[in-house]
Amino acid sequence: MRELELYFGPQHLGMVGNFSITLKVEGDRILKATANPGYLHRGFEKLMEYRTWIQNFPLVCRLNVIEPDHMEMVYAMAVEKLAGIEVPERAQWIRSIYLELARVGSHLFGLWAYANMLGFDTIAQWAMYHRDLILDLFEELTGGRVYHIYIWPGGVRRDFPDGFANKIVETLHSIGKCVPDYDDTFFNNPLFYERAHGIGKITQEEAKEWGAVGQVLRATGIPYDIRKVEPYAAYDKVDFDIPTRENGDAYSRIWVIRDELIESVHLIFKLLDKLPEGEVYNKVPNPFKWKVPKGEAYVRVESSRGELGLYMVSNGKDKPYRVHFRTPSYPHGLTILEKVLVGENIADVGNTMISLYVVAPEIDR
Amino acid sequence: MKMNKKLAEELELTFKDIEVSTPEDTKIEIFAHKEQVLTILRFLKDKGYNHLALISCVDWIEKAEFELVYILTPYLQDYEAYKEIGDIHLKMRIPRENPEFETVIPIFANAEPYEREIHELFGIKFAGHPRLTHLLLERDYAIPPFRKDFDTREYVKDVFDSIPPIKGEKK
Amino acid sequence: MNKKPKSLRPLKAIKYLFKKPKTLRYPFELKEPSERYRGLHLNNWDKCTGCGNCADICPNVAIEMKEIPEIKPEEGEKNERPEVDYGRCCFCGLCVDICPTGSLRLSRDYLHIHFDPDTFKLLARDEKTDKEHFLPPEKYSIFKASLAHRKEDYEGFAPDLIYALFDPERIPMSQIPPGERKSSFIEQVKGFSQEEAQKEASRCLECKLCEEVCPAGMDIVDYVRNIWDDNLEGAIRDIYKTNPLPGICGRVCTHNCESACVLGHQGDPVSIRWLKRYAVDNIPLEKYQRVLGTQEIESIGKKIAIVGSGPGGLATAYYLRLMGYETVVFEKLPKPGGMMRYGIPEYRLPYEDMDKDIDYIKSTGVEIRCNTTIGKDIILKDLKEKYDAVFVSTGLHVGRTTGVPGTDHPDVFQAIEQLRKVTMGEEIKVTDKIVVIGGGDVAMDIARTLIRLQMQEFSRVDIAVSCLETRDIMPATPEEIEEALEEGIDLYPGWGPEEIIIEDAKITGVVMKKCLRVFDKEGRFNPEFDAHEKMELKGSMVVEAIGQGPDFTFLLGGIKEELEYEGRRIKINEYGQTSLPWLFLGGDLIGGPDVITAIDTGHKTAKGIDRFISKNE
Repeated sequence: MRELELYFGPQHLGMVGNFSITLKVEGDRILKATANPGYLHRGFEKLMEYRTWIQNFPLVCRLNVIEPDHMEMVYAMAVEKLAGIEVPERAQWIRSIYLELARVGSHLFGLWAYANMLGFDTIAQWAMYHRDLILDLFEELTGGRVYHIYIWPGGVRRDFPDGFANKIVETLHSIGKCVPDYDDTFFNNPLFYERAHGIGKITQEEAKEWGAVGQVLRATGIPYDIRKVEPYAAYDKVDFDIPTRENGDAYSRIWVIRDELIESVHLIFKLLDKLPEGEVYNKVPNPFKWKVPKGEAYVRVESSRGELGLYMVSNGKDKPYRVHFRTPSYPHGLTILEKVLVGENIADVGNTMISLYVVAPEIDR
Repeated sequence: MKMNKKLAEELELTFKDIEVSTPEDTKIEIFAHKEQVLTILRFLKDKGYNHLALISCVDWIEKAEFELVYILTPYLQDYEAYKEIGDIHLKMRIPRENPEFETVIPIFANAEPYEREIHELFGIKFAGHPRLTHLLLERDYAIPPFRKDFDTREYVKDVFDSIPPIKGEKK
Repeated sequence: MNKKPKSLRPLKAIKYLFKKPKTLRYPFELKEPSERYRGLHLNNWDKCTGCGNCADICPNVAIEMKEIPEIKPEEGEKNERPEVDYGRCCFCGLCVDICPTGSLRLSRDYLHIHFDPDTFKLLARDEKTDKEHFLPPEKYSIFKASLAHRKEDYEGFAPDLIYALFDPERIPMSQIPPGERKSSFIEQVKGFSQEEAQKEASRCLECKLCEEVCPAGMDIVDYVRNIWDDNLEGAIRDIYKTNPLPGICGRVCTHNCESACVLGHQGDPVSIRWLKRYAVDNIPLEKYQRVLGTQEIESIGKKIAIVGSGPGGLATAYYLRLMGYETVVFEKLPKPGGMMRYGIPEYRLPYEDMDKDIDYIKSTGVEIRCNTTIGKDIILKDLKEKYDAVFVSTGLHVGRTTGVPGTDHPDVFQAIEQLRKVTMGEEIKVTDKIVVIGGGDVAMDIARTLIRLQMQEFSRVDIAVSCLETRDIMPATPEEIEEALEEGIDLYPGWGPEEIIIEDAKITGVVMKKCLRVFDKEGRFNPEFDAHEKMELKGSMVVEAIGQGPDFTFLLGGIKEELEYEGRRIKINEYGQTSLPWLFLGGDLIGGPDVITAIDTGHKTAKGIDRFISKNE
C-alpha cells in the first residue's frame, strides 16, 4: 500500500488547541508521527526577564488558558523561596481550596474536550456548563472568570468574601448530583469503552522511561502525585487518595480523571471544614523597590495534568534572570504522543492526544 | 546520616574534580565538567533518580558561558521516602563561542524535546541528537532569541515597525 | 473496572430533553457580574493626584498619563490623569492595588460596543466628576453600552489597604519620651538605624510629586533610592547637588515634600527628612570632600562678599565657591549659622551637627568672618569696592510686639531675643508661671525652651501658650505643637491679648479676648474679637512670639537712597538682584521664612551673580 503524509491539525475537529501532528500513514495505520508545537509560542519566559517581579504575576497565568491557577502557584512559590517570604497559614489553605477548584474546572474542561472529540456532545455540554459554575465561583472570589490573577507572592490577593465557603459547597453539591448521570451516560457507556479501550496504551516501564507524570503515569498504576511527594500549600494537613488504574490506555486515563475530579471535590470539603482564621497576605516590598536575592529555585506542584515545575534564577536584581517552566504536557505531547501514535488508526489520533490531556499553550509557552 | 548526604560523599569519591553541595535538605547541587556529565547522569539514574524533570539553560553572558542544568527527581510516591534523597541539580558550563555538547537521549528518552528547544533558543548543538530541527520557532534568527544579547524590544521595533501600513488602513 | 460495560443506561440522558435550557438569553437575560468583578476602570478625579504609579506598574504599558489642562492642580499634585488603552489592558488590577490615594478602581462594566475601532482608549473617570457618561439605571441601555455609556454606582474590584502593594505605615522614629526630654536640651529624635532607614526608604514609590514642592527642588527620589540601595555616598552626592546644609535640613526642614507624598493620602508619608538626616549622619566629615569631588576647586579670581551666614548666605557662598569664586561671608554674631543657630533650640538642632555642615562648606574654601556688622564695622559701599558683587541675606531678627498695654514692662520679652541669649550661653529670666503669646514655630521653640529651664529651676512646668488662630490653622508645624503639648504646655488657641495686668510693678497675668477670625475675606491679616468673651491667663512673665521683621542696618551709608522700591519692598528680579546690579538679596529677606526656601534663594542668587559677573547683566 502507498505511504502518505497527512497533516492533522491545527485546524481539525478532533484537535483541541493549536497543535498539529504530521502523520506518515499506510492505509489507516500510522507509521510515524511528528508533533509540531509552536503555534502558540509567545516567548513568555523571555518576556518575564523584562518585567519586574510583580509585573510577572499577571503574566504567568496566561501560560495555560484552561488552568491558570497552578501557574500562579508555582510562580508565587518560586518567588517566595528565592526571597524568603513567609505565607500565612490561612492563605495556604485558601490556596489549596482554590487550586482544587481549578482542578475540578480543568478536569471538566478536559472531559468536554474528550467527550466532544468522541462525539458525546450531550456530555460535553454538561461538562462545559458545570465548568461555568466553577468559573462563577472564581469570579466571585477573584473578580476574573478565566484569568484569576489571585495567588501572588506573600499569600493570596483577597480573602474569601462573606458566605463564599457555603457557595462552594452548594455549587459542588449541584455538580455532584449529576455524577450518576455522567457515569450512566458516559463512563459506563459501552461506546466509550469501545472507543477508548486499548488506545494509546503504555506500560509502567515505558511511562517512567518517557518521563510521564500525572494521569498518564497514574493510569499505569503508579500513584505519583506531587501533592504527596513534596507537599505544598495545605496538602499535608488533610488526608486524600490518589486514584490509579492499571491498564495505561486512554480508557484508564479518562477514568483516572473522573476519579480525581470526585476526590478533589471531597478534598475541598475537607479543607473547608478545617479552614483556619487569620491573615491571608504578608506584604511584599514596594514593587518599584523590590530586589530578590541571588539564587535559583526549582519548585513544583501537581497541576491537573501532572508535575508542573518552575526553574527560576535571580541575579539579585528587580527582574528574574531566567525563567523556565517544566510543564506536564511537554513530555506527554512531544515524547509520548509521538511514540504511542505509531501503530494506531488515523481515527484514534485525537482520541490518543486528548486522553494524554495535552494542552498546547503549555508546551509552547 | 541522610541518604542524600551519603550520596553526596559517594559522588565526590567516585568522580574527581566535581563540586557537590547540599544547599537545601532535599537538593543536591553538582557542578561537573563537560566530559563527566553523561557518566554522572547514568550513575544517578541507577541510584534511583529515574525522572529527568527538566533540562534548562542559563545564559551567563558576563562570564561568556552557558550553563546547562539537569534536574533529576526520583519517581517516589510519598514524602517520607522522597525527603531522604531529594532532587539533583546537575550543572555544567560550556563556553558561549560555538557551544556544543552531547545528547543525553540514550539515558533519558524525554530529553529529546528539551535539547531541541535549547538548540533552537540558545543555539547549543547536541552531538548525536537525531533531529535538531525547529521545535517552537518557524525560522532562524541571527542571534538565538533566548540569549541575553537578543533584545526582544529592539527586535519588535526593527521587525514590526518596518512593515508598511496596509492600504486604506487608518493610521 | 476494565470490563466492557453493558447497559441501556446512557439513554437516561433523554430526560434532559424535558428540562429548561441553562443558557442565558443574552442580551435580554443578563448575568450580574460579581462584587469584585475586574472590569473597566473608574477614577475619582477629585482624589487622583496624577502621581502616575498606575502607569508605572502596568505590565502592559496600557496606562498613559494625559495632561488635562482644565484641571488646576493643588500644590503637590499634577494635572495628569490616567488614560487606559483597552487594546492592551489585561484587567489584572495591579493599578488599583498600587493607587496610593485609592482613587482608581475597577467597575463591573465590561462592555464596549462601537463602530469605530479607534475608540478603545478611555480617560478613566467616575460618576462623581462625570455625570454625562455615567448613567442611572433608567437611562442606561445594554445596546448602547460603551466606554462612554456606563452604569453609575457600579464599582467592582476596589482597593484595600491590607492588600495594597505599598506600605501605608512608616517606620516609627525612636524619640526620647516627653517626661525625659523636657528637662534637658539633648536632641529629641534619635535617628534611624541602617535597617530602619533602608526599610523606610523602600516605601518610596518614586512618583516625584515631592520634588515638585521642594523649594530647593531636591532630587529626593534619587537619594532615597540610594539610601535603599545602601549607597550613602551616592545619596549625599544627590543631596549636595541642591542642598549644602543637609544635616540641618534633615532635622528642622519644614518638609513640604512629606505633605506632598502620595503615601500620605491613606497612610503616612515617607520620612524623607529623617532619611536625609540618616544619610548625612552616617558619613564622616573627613570623607565629604572626596565623595563630593571638592578637594580642589580652581579659582576664577573673582571675589564675592556675602552678608549674613544663615542658610541663604551659606548656600550662595557654597554654590559660588563650586563655580570657582572666592567667597567671604560676614556675620554679625560670634558664630555662623544665623537663625539656625540663634533661633532654633539645641534639642531640635544640636550645634555639632550644624557645625558639621558649616565646617564642610568652610573646607571648600569659603571664608567666614564673624563679629562683623555691615553698616557698622564696614559699610556696604566699601564692600562694593573690594568685591565684585555683594549678596545680603541678613534674615529676620527683630521681634515684633503686640503693643497691648503693659508690653513695655521689663518682664515682657521677645522670643527671638531670648532664644539668641540661650544659644550665647547667657542666662535668661525664668519664673514659675509664664505666658507665651504666639502660635508659630518660634512660639513653640521658646515655650519648649522655657519648659526645660522651668524643669531645671522649679522641677515643674507651667506655661500657657495662646494664639489668635484656632488649632487647625495654627502656623506651627503640627508635630511641634503635639510635642509641646506632650511636654506639658497649656494651649489656648483662638485668643488674643488685650492687656497685661500689672500689680505692684509685677506682672500677674494677661487679659485675653476671644478671637472670632484672623483673616478677612480677602485673606489679609485682620483679626476680629468678641469684646464680651474674656479670660485671664495667670503668669509672672510674658514672652511675645508673634513674628519677626528685618533689620535694615546694612543699608546705612548711602545705599538706601539709591535703591528702587516696589511699594515698600526693595525691587528685585528673579535672581534676587536689586536695581543696583552688584547687590543681591536673599534668604528670609525675600522668601520663606524657612531654611529650605533660603537655600533655594541661594541657588538663584548664585546663578544671578555668576550671570552678572560673566555676562555683566
